[in-house]
Amino acid sequence: MSEALKGKGADNGGTAAGVGGSRSSGSGNGAWQPLIVAFCCNWCSYAGGDLAGTSRLSYPANVRVIRVTCSSRVNPLHVMRAFQRGADGVLIAGCHPGDCHYTSGNYHARRRFSIFARLLEHAGLEPERFQVRWISSSEGDRFAEVMQEMTETIKALGPNERWVDPRWLKIT
Amino acid sequence: MAQDNLNRDQATARIRAAVTQDLLSGRISLLLGWQKGLFWWRSRPLFARSQQDLERLVWDSFCAVNLSRYLPEELSIEERVGILVKGCDARAFHRLLQDRMLDRERVLLYGLPCPGMLDYRLLAEAGVKEAEQMLEEGEELVIQTGGGEERRPRTDFLLEKCRLCSHPDPVVYDQLLLPPGEPRMDPASRFQDLEARERPTPAERYAYWSGELQRCLSCYACRQVCPACSCRECFAEQQEPRWLGKGAGLNENMLFHIIRVYHGAGRCIECGECQRACPVGIPLLELSRRLAKDIEELYGPYEAGMDPEAPPPLLTYRPEDPAAFPEK
Repeated sequence: MSEALKGKGADNGGTAAGVGGSRSSGSGNGAWQPLIVAFCCNWCSYAGGDLAGTSRLSYPANVRVIRVTCSSRVNPLHVMRAFQRGADGVLIAGCHPGDCHYTSGNYHARRRFSIFARLLEHAGLEPERFQVRWISSSEGDRFAEVMQEMTETIKALGPNERWVDPRWLKIT
Repeated sequence: MAQDNLNRDQATARIRAAVTQDLLSGRISLLLGWQKGLFWWRSRPLFARSQQDLERLVWDSFCAVNLSRYLPEELSIEERVGILVKGCDARAFHRLLQDRMLDRERVLLYGLPCPGMLDYRLLAEAGVKEAEQMLEEGEELVIQTGGGEERRPRTDFLLEKCRLCSHPDPVVYDQLLLPPGEPRMDPASRFQDLEARERPTPAERYAYWSGELQRCLSCYACRQVCPACSCRECFAEQQEPRWLGKGAGLNENMLFHIIRVYHGAGRCIECGECQRACPVGIPLLELSRRLAKDIEELYGPYEAGMDPEAPPPLLTYRPEDPAAFPEK
């Protein structure tokens, strides 16, 4: 996973450090920066990210993109793992309903992650920290907007404290 | 309730007579039932292969164990298995059938309408410590305490899973051994108690669940008894990738329970075995029921284990489905 966590698109230098590094007060300019893990489907949302890049749109470097074959490929365990290892927010992005490369993947994802979002809410996570969005490959501007919006929301919320595994925070 | 015409001893005798015949004639090679456990307030599973074994069979107010969970394993060695099923065991049977864990033709189901099982913890709170202190008379319990005799309705002492049960009569059986009872809970109103227990803020919910789940010993009894847990290799013990460590820590406990509940989403029959089996008394059923309530809200009424032909909500979709997140 670490290779995929390198991030893509926007300028990645300086502001946000590696996994868990967002927490160490000494990194970068000293201010806390949120870490957002975005699982993007290969066919729509990741391509949307590419378009944002080639269109020279900027979005916050707090977002680390992980490319997955389909939004329904994401296992809830991946989401939990991200929170355990220091993510302050997790985003799953896929094709708009009806546009799935595999016909029905995102329909399944919609049901699964609607329910999973509710479950995380019941267990005490702030609902803003786990989001699902549909971004098509032609929506580079929307990709940048969603990332911007999510980063601002998480910044306002502050660092995530739920399910963080302290063993991972030592790694900077 | 109609079954009060028979007292428990008579009912046990009737069940024993029916199954003895089938076991001796070779129609079944094993009967799954209940026998008394170490304590008077516990009835544990009975695996009867002979008439002698059947003498230990009981049908009392503590036969809460869901027997269907034992079927897949027993069917791997036995030809044809007979099983006593209450409402929840029957729904668990449907659950396993739907997960293709069972061969319907090799199971003989004896239906037992269930009056609800008693919770020892509640009895102990009322001062009952020994079997002699408690007498069941129809819908009432006669309790002997130091001060004298007290009559309390039986429903005061039911296990939570039985208080909330909307299908005490088995939904599937080959033979019904006792007269059917009356429904206790309307399926449509089965989540009403959850609204009363709503915790409004994330901080409150997290405080509540982290408080409960930090008592978790990682014994995985909740998974072991669950008729919806059917993975051959559980993520909790998977080595590659390794999701959980060996130590007990709050974050890993919560991860385990969140994923365990999620794996049962839309498949959980709300039998509450997880909660009953929990050695440290974590109210595990609540999370599963909250999820079942959300599924009903979003994707329409669904009760798992009622109809083996109806697809579980998370294994199907409709293009016009709503989402719990903004779609535009």
